[in-house]
Amino acid sequence: MAYSDKVIDHYNNPRNVGSFAKDEENVGTGVVGAPECGDVMKLQLKINPESGMIEDARFKTFGCGSAIASSSYVTELVKGKHIDEAMAIKNSAIVKELNLPPVKIHCSVLAEDAIKAAITDWRKHRVTDETPKKAESV
Amino acid sequence: MIQCPSCGRLAEPSLQCSNCSGPLPANVDLFTALGLPRKLTIAPEQLEATYHRLGRELHPDRFAAARPEVRKASLTATSLLTRAYRTLRDPISRANYWLELHGRKARENGSRVPADVAEMVFDIHEELAEFAQSRNAVPADASDLTERVNERRMEIVNRLEALDRELAATFCSLDQVQDAPPDESVAQLLSILSRRAYLRTLLRDIEKALDTRPSA
Repeated sequence: MAYSDKVIDHYNNPRNVGSFAKDEENVGTGVVGAPECGDVMKLQLKINPESGMIEDARFKTFGCGSAIASSSYVTELVKGKHIDEAMAIKNSAIVKELNLPPVKIHCSVLAEDAIKAAITDWRKHRVTDETPKKAESV
Repeated sequence: MIQCPSCGRLAEPSLQCSNCSGPLPANVDLFTALGLPRKLTIAPEQLEATYHRLGRELHPDRFAAARPEVRKASLTATSLLTRAYRTLRDPISRANYWLELHGRKARENGSRVPADVAEMVFDIHEELAEFAQSRNAVPADASDLTERVNERRMEIVNRLEALDRELAATFCSLDQVQDAPPDESVAQLLSILSRRAYLRTLLRDIEKALDTRPSA
């Protein structure tokens, strides 16, 4: 299968690989997977609690080149964005940027879901920290 | 009922006319194409035998001199037959197709990964990274790690075998249901299929790491 140049570039030089230190504050973590192909993606976002801006991002993805490229691209895309803006990112933007073929569209869906999962996780912790009694489940 | 282009009589929708054995241009589901009930458990010998028999009997070469409708029916029937065989031969693609027929799909639970699976994936990948690093630095000292990675490999292989047994049992219990499959069993089927996919990917990564020669 022919990967696009951008996929190959992100695959060979992935941006923001790794994870934040366990004790780092204001980090939301999203772990998502594709049950069809077994890819697993972990995305962490460091979010400013006052402004809601995404200050930094890390990822670890185990799967095909397109899944790695999608998550690498997403870490670049969300940095400097407000969480509301990041929540609105659609997988089609990832497909377009990386020129993903139809069989790899699920990789971009995975990256979109990872952003949402990470922000949801961050929000959940904030709610728990500030108003323990109103903590939402899920 | 469908009209047979060869004998003109009406036949039950399938790939082969029950009256004259000629090809039918029927658009049937893949189980029906192979003359099988819509069951998850399939005897491989039966599948092979039916596929080869129908492949012979419906082969376009046999209808080279027939009327255009018959020739066309033979082409569509054999291509559907091949698709049915390829899809149903493998238990996983068969299960996914069965789910599709029941309006369900592998992705219906979204992208959530079972927590224990996610933990295992990240733990093992950490070990693999360590393994690759140490082997590059001091190849001679890597034998302990090699052993650990091999143990991990066996652990995954065993888990996959256990999942395959669970899958066969779930197939059986779903096959006994006459009406719509109960949500509980379908949920179990989906869970087994997704766990299996994650473990297969993990196993592939472990084997790749074990096969890779240390870079000089």
